[in-house]
Amino acid sequence: MLRTVIHGAVATMLASAPLLAQTGTIAGRVLTADDAQPIPGAQILVLGTNAGAVTREDGRYSLTVRPGRYTVRALRIGFGADTVRNVVVTAGATTTADFRLRPAATALSGIVVVGYGTQEAKDVTGSVATVGTEEFNTGRVVSPEALIRGKVAGVQVADNNEPGGGIAVRVRGGTSVNASNEPLYVIDGVPIDVGGGSTVSGRNGLNFLNPNDIETVTVLKDASATAIYGNRGANGVVIITTKSGASQPQVMYTGTVSGSRVVGGPEMLTADQYRAAVTQYAATNVPSLGSANTDWLAAIEQNAGGQEHNLDFAGKRDAALYRLGLGYLDQEGVLIGTRTRRASASLNYSDLLLNDRLALRTHLRGSRSVDDFTPNAVLGEAVAFAPTQPIYTSTGEYYQYRDPTTGNLIGLAPNNPLEDLKYLQDRGTILRSIGSVEGEYRLPWLQGLSVTARGSFDSNRADRNSFTPSTVASQLKGDPTLAGSLSRANHSELHTVADAFATYRHDLPMLDRGSVDLTVGVSAENFNGSYNGYSARGLSTNLLGYNGVPTFKEASPGVSVQEHRLRSQFARGNLSLKDRYLFTATVRRDGSSRFGPDNQWGVFPSAAFAWRMSEEPMLKDLLPVSDLKLRVSWGKNGNESIGCNYCAYGSYEVGGPQAQAQLGSDFVTTIRPIAFDANLHWETTTSTDVGIDFGLLRNRFSVSIDGYTKTTDDLLFAVPTAAGTALSNSVLTNIGSVRNRGFEFMLDGKLIDGGRRGFTWLANFNASHNSNELLTLGRPGLTSIATGGIAGGVGTNIQVLQPGQPVNSFFVYRHREANGKVVVTGPDTAMYVDVNGDKIINTSDLRPFHSPAPKWIIGHTSNFSWRNFDASTTLRAYLGNYVYNNVASNLGNYSVLTSPYAPVNLSASVLQYGFTRPQYLSDLYVEDASFLRMDNLTVGYTFDRLGQVRNPRVFGTIQNVFTKTSYSGVDPTANINGIDNNVYPRSRTFVGGVTIGF
Amino acid sequence: MRIMSTRWLAMGGAALLLAVPACNNDLTVAPQSNITSGNIFSDTTSYRAFLAKLYAGLAVTGQSGPDGKPDISGIDEGFSQYVRGYWQLQELPTDEAIIGWGDTGLPELNTQTWSAANPFTTAMYARIFYQVALANEFLRQTSDAQLSARGTAAALVTEVQGYRAEARFLRALSYYHALDLFGNVPIVDENFDISKLPVQAARSDVFAFVEKELKEARAGLPARSTGSYYGRASQQAVDMTLAHLYLNAKVWTGTDRSADALAAASSAIAGGGSLDTSIPHLFQADNNTSPEILFSIPFDGNHTRTWGGMTYLIHASVGDNMDAAASGIDGGWYGLRLRPSAVERYAGGASSTDLRAQFIRTAGRTEDIANVGSSNNGYALAKFRNVTADGKPGSNLTFPDTDYPMYRLADAYLIYAEAFLRGGGGSQGTALGYVNALRTRANATPIGAAELTLPFILDERGRELLWEGMRRQDLIRFGQFSTAGIWQWKGGTHDGEVTSANHDLYPIPANELSANPTLKQNPGY
Repeated sequence: MLRTVIHGAVATMLASAPLLAQTGTIAGRVLTADDAQPIPGAQILVLGTNAGAVTREDGRYSLTVRPGRYTVRALRIGFGADTVRNVVVTAGATTTADFRLRPAATALSGIVVVGYGTQEAKDVTGSVATVGTEEFNTGRVVSPEALIRGKVAGVQVADNNEPGGGIAVRVRGGTSVNASNEPLYVIDGVPIDVGGGSTVSGRNGLNFLNPNDIETVTVLKDASATAIYGNRGANGVVIITTKSGASQPQVMYTGTVSGSRVVGGPEMLTADQYRAAVTQYAATNVPSLGSANTDWLAAIEQNAGGQEHNLDFAGKRDAALYRLGLGYLDQEGVLIGTRTRRASASLNYSDLLLNDRLALRTHLRGSRSVDDFTPNAVLGEAVAFAPTQPIYTSTGEYYQYRDPTTGNLIGLAPNNPLEDLKYLQDRGTILRSIGSVEGEYRLPWLQGLSVTARGSFDSNRADRNSFTPSTVASQLKGDPTLAGSLSRANHSELHTVADAFATYRHDLPMLDRGSVDLTVGVSAENFNGSYNGYSARGLSTNLLGYNGVPTFKEASPGVSVQEHRLRSQFARGNLSLKDRYLFTATVRRDGSSRFGPDNQWGVFPSAAFAWRMSEEPMLKDLLPVSDLKLRVSWGKNGNESIGCNYCAYGSYEVGGPQAQAQLGSDFVTTIRPIAFDANLHWETTTSTDVGIDFGLLRNRFSVSIDGYTKTTDDLLFAVPTAAGTALSNSVLTNIGSVRNRGFEFMLDGKLIDGGRRGFTWLANFNASHNSNELLTLGRPGLTSIATGGIAGGVGTNIQVLQPGQPVNSFFVYRHREANGKVVVTGPDTAMYVDVNGDKIINTSDLRPFHSPAPKWIIGHTSNFSWRNFDASTTLRAYLGNYVYNNVASNLGNYSVLTSPYAPVNLSASVLQYGFTRPQYLSDLYVEDASFLRMDNLTVGYTFDRLGQVRNPRVFGTIQNVFTKTSYSGVDPTANINGIDNNVYPRSRTFVGGVTIGF
Repeated sequence: MRIMSTRWLAMGGAALLLAVPACNNDLTVAPQSNITSGNIFSDTTSYRAFLAKLYAGLAVTGQSGPDGKPDISGIDEGFSQYVRGYWQLQELPTDEAIIGWGDTGLPELNTQTWSAANPFTTAMYARIFYQVALANEFLRQTSDAQLSARGTAAALVTEVQGYRAEARFLRALSYYHALDLFGNVPIVDENFDISKLPVQAARSDVFAFVEKELKEARAGLPARSTGSYYGRASQQAVDMTLAHLYLNAKVWTGTDRSADALAAASSAIAGGGSLDTSIPHLFQADNNTSPEILFSIPFDGNHTRTWGGMTYLIHASVGDNMDAAASGIDGGWYGLRLRPSAVERYAGGASSTDLRAQFIRTAGRTEDIANVGSSNNGYALAKFRNVTADGKPGSNLTFPDTDYPMYRLADAYLIYAEAFLRGGGGSQGTALGYVNALRTRANATPIGAAELTLPFILDERGRELLWEGMRRQDLIRFGQFSTAGIWQWKGGTHDGEVTSANHDLYPIPANELSANPTLKQNPGY
């Protein structure tokens, strides 16, 4: 019999022609266990085959398989799985298999995506969290990672008020200082680079992906889950799975329009307050004060409009599933000039060939993003420009600060931001395409063995062009022969991945529902980038903008070619005994071209054990909870994202044309040997995780609690070199250690279950605590490294790396208080605590003081439904995060008024403290930025049926409904580095939309 | 049989699928947009380009002027420039100059209240040893063995021998600065095994090393830094460095070497050059044509750009009520001012008829510095300017063409006079002649023999070499820097107060002590 099957299959392969196989049908219905309501969208799996189906609106399904005896399983997010065994299929006949699913929270059931495969949630031994479509954040979401902000315990998705602004995700705290802290992003199995050209030409390296195309986002948090990604897994892994076909043809349109307005900005003095301040503190400047009342910030802001349209075609033909997603987004920012547009197309196609033994899956997507940037300086200029000065002069020109006697522009004064807004251009364009073809072949002679081969590409063309005409003030102030500039950057990148892996799944009946699941594979990745840049100054004409190069005075072209290769082998074994003792072991061996010959290869192992206590016969009836699982895991990961491809190589760098040395009458271009550490290698993170998952009230509630510790060794620091021994004063070396410890709590539950049309309330609550500590800088005498440059002074640093403290703790003077009030006058010794008692206030008196990372991150999501209405909301809070208010420290003192170049506006903080000179390093400016924010609130109504239109839904969303904080600056989530210096203004967005299906 | 073969075929196919990605295991990806140590000297112009980097290290801060790709890190790139750092450490703690900015660590220089973590002293130390490391690498790469291994042509070998002498001069020059500022520093030459920690040397040993290196390099150098050697090492530059070395020998080693100082100064004077008839020309955009400047660090508006060097000296000097265009620049930085003690050294103060006081600017300013942070407190000094002798601005209004005059003939004259007064021989007539040559040029009254005293020399150096990066060394040599000598804001108070003797040396940076724990900190820090 076996030989016949093999024979037949191989004949099929060789003949490449379909055989008319005899098949039978399995059909049935999937209903809720409680009230027998149909469950659409449930996944039906025939174990041991690739056959499967998705239930229709009425909960029914049917699928064809070869005759035989099968185990069939039904899965649906939000429900516990149900299995029917011993389904006997005979040729030409239909066998019925019905399922009743019990509602459950996602953590305990369903299919979970893991690296190089999937697993049933009950078998997962690591810390993995999945967020599905229904749980995603609502409203205008430009960047995919924003979908899960506030949804997963232990995951911080940094805020960025710019539409589609930069990506920064931290999984269980930052593990690194000088290498990347960003998790690895994997889209449909393919690792994606989110840095490089995309971040130069666009706002965010994930923006090419339309959030509407995403089905689930899975975060792998502990080393048991991430170790399969070896030297890129140290910061966690975010796996994005895109939507695939539907069980029946459908066309779906979703359209939204939105409006945003500013709700937070830096508080500066009003015109009247400013007049009073100048009169009192800078009487000599009163004559040049001006008589206008200008709100400069309001002048550069706009009510931002946006629209988004998504059209999906999805369906199934025979075994082929397809989905075509088309999307268009156009969103303005609340600062004039900010805009992002994206046109995207995504095609997912899968089919079963060769007697259903070969599953072919392709993913192809492409998008074009155009980002318009508000010129960098504009926000700072609007903050600083005196409110008593007008936007326009009486002759209709843009007002600029001028020397009253000579009439010349004043060099160090801010420029009129409105002029810059009008004339400066800055645009990034990204054309990015990623695709993969994947074949999974179930080998015919051994049940359960399949081989998958996959090839994929990620091709990126990223341009950034900017232009400054010669007529604006910033150009007129400098060397007139160099006025007018343009810059063009043209980056192209190609990342290819070839990987192949074999999976063997086998039931071990002798072990009482035991099973084994092995995966072994290899992968090869190549990355090539070419970065061309060109800039010119002193343009002969402004007519061409950035689209042409007229005669110029100075130009600086640049070319850089980069290459990076990664070769890997990996393996994973899952062993399940008695369906309750679960063992997982993984190992990955990675070789990276970034490191020297002796340091290229590394091995990253992990091991985990889970015990499903609730399946233990002795405990089953004693436990007050269901699905109780204990997990423990250990593993190692690397971080090879060190920011350069050639740091371990000795090389010489050629100097530029303006860094020449004069030898006699010749100007000679220099070459410089570069300092390097040939022993450079990746940072290594060792983590352990202990977790417990359980359900309450028959899985109506599910709870996950995890505790973890992650220690990162061989941390890269630019450490001082002993004088004379190296070709720089510091060299990037693997020397330090940092530790993150914390715990996480997640609760999913159906608080109120009113049945299908009654009032139902689903809620998610998550909370996590992380404490970060720099353990060592690797040198006994090296007590600190300064970080965190600020505006104010030159080279002023506000943060520090100091052993025993969180990474990037603020490093400040302790401000003295007298009689309960801050001392704001007198010499430094009167204002600041002389910590070391030497009667001098100098850099030795700086002390670490709080850090930007939140101690607690708390998130809550509620979904309500009642009859045809639905509503959802997301609340989020950070506790213990601190922000340095750089606007206040830089412009919060009266000496700004007497500055000999034009007086500029003051931060309103000056009214509170009254400083007469800058106090950049005072701890007063390090503020507690804990906050509570309602990220979004959505209300929707679904019509029963309107003619041909299937269940149309109308909905409205408010984003950033409110933010409660004591932080005085623009936004408590200002910047992941904790320095608030003219961050993009916070806004509130109103979205209205409609979904129509056919 | 058929079954067996197809099974093997299928298995082979599967194995192939797994193996294909693994076979290309070449992980060596050499840099393509950088030159590697493997091929650098295949191009023979690399020797000159590398030598140029040694000189560029004194003028620019990295490979992309005015900023970008910095040589050293841990400080703002502009702050890290060699001349800027050296000038600030020699001038800001003295009775000549004060700076109004509040950048971390900078006010500590004004008041002699620095700590071992001071970013400016740290950066200067790093800059000095960056030059040392570069020179050592150059000497290693150009050893006889290396040159012959590369089959270098004889003519090029001869040329490179000259480069090696220049590299040794530059290394000695930086060690002379280290000796002056930090005292007890490790000596690292090209033969040192850089995998080991350098050993701290006594100040006298550093002195001996500098002396030996300068003397040995001298033979391989041209007589003067002129023509195709403009901006480059010369015997005259060696003589001037030796003259300073010997003049300060008593402080640095305990042994008086005034006779050697006098001899070195005489040799420098004999080497050529003459006093510039125009004092302003010495500090202007075309000062490369001045016959008086013996060794300078060239800057250029188009080719040699930095935020330190002359860019700093000229921009930072311009502030309130000053015409930036008169200094040949596009705007002032409102930073540097004169301390009153420097103004009062000229007979008649700011309104002195001494031509060396002509650079003082008083409009809208107070002489007294009531508040260091107020940029109109204290007179300004428009001594360095980016305009040519005929009043035209330099080639760029941001980055001056003006070269930094490190050694000029007037300095040699004053060293001769001082060495004579310190018993170093020579003749009183010559010494008096030199001093009066300067005073006559400056429209100041010539002095008589009785007035030629050591205190007079200190004051005259203050008048002649004001803001030329000499003052701290001079004050220490005369015992007037720390425990004696009072001027505004010294020690941190308006009227000034004495400080402890340890301030005569800067601290070894805390960073260096962590990297090389075998080093001992200078006393008092």
